[in-house]
Amino acid sequence: MRPQATILALASLACVTHLPTLGWASLAGTTPLVTEDEDQACAELPTYVLRAEKLVVRPGKVLENVSVLVRGGEIVLISPEIPLPEGATEIKGKVVCASFMDPWSALGVDSNVLNDKSLNEEARVSDALNLYSGDFLRQQALEAGVTTARLQGGYRGSTGGLGAVVRLDPELDDPSTAVLLSDANLGMSVGLTVDSGARLVRGADGSLQFLSGDEPVDVFDRVSAIDKLISKLESGAAYRQAELEYAHKLDEWNKEIAEQTKKLEGDYKKAKKSRDKDVKEAEEKGKEFKEKKYKESRKPKQPKQDDGKAALASVAEGEIPLVVEVHRSSEIRNLLERTKSFGRLRLVIAGGSEALSSAKELAEREIPVIVWPALRGNSAQDEFASDDLSLAGVLAARGVPILLGTGGRGEDATRDLPLLAQMAIGHGLDPEVALRALTVDAARTFDMAGSIGTVELGKDADLLVLDGMPLMPGTNIEHVFCGGRLAVSNKN
Amino acid sequence: MMFNTILAAFLAVSAGLTATPQPGTPSGSEGVKAGVSPASKAVSDAAAFTAFKAKIVYLGNGTSLENGVVLVQDGIIVKVGKDLEIPAGAGIVDHDGALSAGLIALHSNDGAGGELNDTTRTVMPDAEARFAFDPKHPELREALEAGITSIVLCPSSSRLIGGQTAVVKTSGGVIVKPNAQLSLGLSSAALSYNEFPTSYSGALGELNAQFSDPKGAVSRAVAGSLPVLMDVNDRAETMRAIAFAKKYKLRGAMYGSYWAEDVVVAIKESGFDVICTPFDVGDNQRGARSVAALAAAGVRIGFGLDSPARHPASLRFGAAMCVRQGLAADSARKALTGDAADIVGAGNRIGKIARGSDADIVLWSGDPVALSSSIKAVYIEGKQVFGGSK
Repeated sequence: MRPQATILALASLACVTHLPTLGWASLAGTTPLVTEDEDQACAELPTYVLRAEKLVVRPGKVLENVSVLVRGGEIVLISPEIPLPEGATEIKGKVVCASFMDPWSALGVDSNVLNDKSLNEEARVSDALNLYSGDFLRQQALEAGVTTARLQGGYRGSTGGLGAVVRLDPELDDPSTAVLLSDANLGMSVGLTVDSGARLVRGADGSLQFLSGDEPVDVFDRVSAIDKLISKLESGAAYRQAELEYAHKLDEWNKEIAEQTKKLEGDYKKAKKSRDKDVKEAEEKGKEFKEKKYKESRKPKQPKQDDGKAALASVAEGEIPLVVEVHRSSEIRNLLERTKSFGRLRLVIAGGSEALSSAKELAEREIPVIVWPALRGNSAQDEFASDDLSLAGVLAARGVPILLGTGGRGEDATRDLPLLAQMAIGHGLDPEVALRALTVDAARTFDMAGSIGTVELGKDADLLVLDGMPLMPGTNIEHVFCGGRLAVSNKN
Repeated sequence: MMFNTILAAFLAVSAGLTATPQPGTPSGSEGVKAGVSPASKAVSDAAAFTAFKAKIVYLGNGTSLENGVVLVQDGIIVKVGKDLEIPAGAGIVDHDGALSAGLIALHSNDGAGGELNDTTRTVMPDAEARFAFDPKHPELREALEAGITSIVLCPSSSRLIGGQTAVVKTSGGVIVKPNAQLSLGLSSAALSYNEFPTSYSGALGELNAQFSDPKGAVSRAVAGSLPVLMDVNDRAETMRAIAFAKKYKLRGAMYGSYWAEDVVVAIKESGFDVICTPFDVGDNQRGARSVAALAAAGVRIGFGLDSPARHPASLRFGAAMCVRQGLAADSARKALTGDAADIVGAGNRIGKIARGSDADIVLWSGDPVALSSSIKAVYIEGKQVFGGSK
């Protein structure tokens, strides 16, 4: 299902297995900690010991006066006292916490893909990355503490294809290292204003008018958009069903063939004798000998391979989340109602400007909403009409799981995610919920919790060293670790 | 609007941050007029007092006061200090957080209903923005809820001489300063492809014609009694504007800051203030860096908003972006309040927590330039217009 993820998991496993058991002896001993045949990428990363007055393991769980040992890009030890290994760098800080993830970003995505209205379900945003341009934007994102992002293409179309989780390190130019997950989710949208380009429209008085630019989607089209979304999910479920049935039938068939073969082999001598006899008889009678026809049951037909339907199947089965950008209350309600029958579906709402009216159901079904707290003036598009900066706060207060994202429209917004989070706090969001949204909850929603989002043993070293609690007034970021690399250092 | 008034009245009586007069004191000033004894007059006056106590009081001039008290009488600040004697019978607002003057959004269109852009002419020095002001417009309420108690209504930057700006309050329909600045369009926004002026040369030619034979508001600008507001964008426009202002000995402010970091010295020498154009998410950091550089060089700065096209929260967002790029938090707070008021010549009345200023006060959970701080209550001329217990 996820080749990229598997390869990465294996690679990081390789790094770990080369490390000696971590104990005092090995740390103090002279045995080289890095063996010669160690993977090059792992060997290049230096070792760090972070000494924190406060370690935010996860929002709400804070340890005081502990050290964190970072080696080979991973957190390998958390302990009150860690002696400094030879060659390691020591960094002291008031607060250490996990770095931020933007769960709705466009940083590094080719703009044609963002605007593509005709993406299929099998389209991958990871195929549209340009990791050579916009390095300064990635650097600025790192400086703001954002080290990973979920990217999504095609917000202008009904399908945005498969989203990806990437590391925002400008040093990573190779997708095989920058992309952590190439099928983080499937993206779709309902009811968004579309740029229809230049067009001639007949006015009420019958005259033709030349219009260009954004055009709100017709209300009936919006209803049918949900119909289409549901039928796509159904086709995915059917595809998976057909695949399973095929597998089952193939299994049966193989069994049948095996049995038949066994039977034929067992009866071989008898059958040969009987055939020889028949041949002889035919010769005697001067007739032509006819071979008995061997009959075998037909092999089941394999369903046609369809990557798009396979992606939809993964969504319908809950193997990857479905992120739907939807804003109006009627559409959110409709979507929630229609998706009820997909028991394993992991729905995530993006935007959700009017999600408050469905807060109860969202909370009950634990459907996360990625809130995009943007500064919209009075010329915002129709679907954002009742957008409000207090949305994240009121949803969270109603028990709806919330994430905070930058909307996936422009590459440059991800840098300002922490400012947006602070703005959401200023408009009523609990600071701890905000921090959770930027770290562990974002990671968990997109299946990254095994490697990022918290400061725990075995996690990747995506960390911030700060002079105060994260997102709080006056707090400055001093150091940023991205995948174990010290990417930003504002303090000598 | 009726609803808003009722809401404000409701909020004013709800518990929490509201003023609580001591029981037994007469309210209103009727008794004074009736000619009662001096003793009861003192009590009556005390009833008109409200004392705002806050953990930290930002004075609007870049300094602050810990555990400060702001004494307000009849909508005006009469005393500010640390251990003030609070008159008996005064209402007390005890706030466990920060207090600042109401924010001032320079360059706004709120409540003007699109009436600030007369597209038929490009030279109208005697057009006055105050006549476009609708005090009951809902946009003003949105600004108020973002802690903005005064805005400066400006004619469109697309006019060569757009007219005169006006400083107004976001509640109560108060016009603080009817003719604050003369708006001049020196950026490409004032140029058109098919209408006069179509080039910088043409624009400057017309401006020179107007200013060498000054009439009406232009003559007041030339005489120095009316500051100018010059809309500029890039470096060349900035330098052109400075040269133009020097020629006619104009004073005032420039609106636009994006490229300013390259021409800081020239701006500083010109004596002009700089009003920053609004900031948005993802904006190039050059703009914020320029603001920090200007402030460091001692140029007085303020923040423009361009609402309602921009969200009122953009004002503080811009300040926070500039702080992230090195602007001192004190300078940012000053730019949002006291300095903004001084730029439009209304510093004696708004923007400061000082004796004699209007009691336009915002109570915050924390530092106003930290975006994570929330607004707990807003007062205009001592009257609570937003907020309450939560």
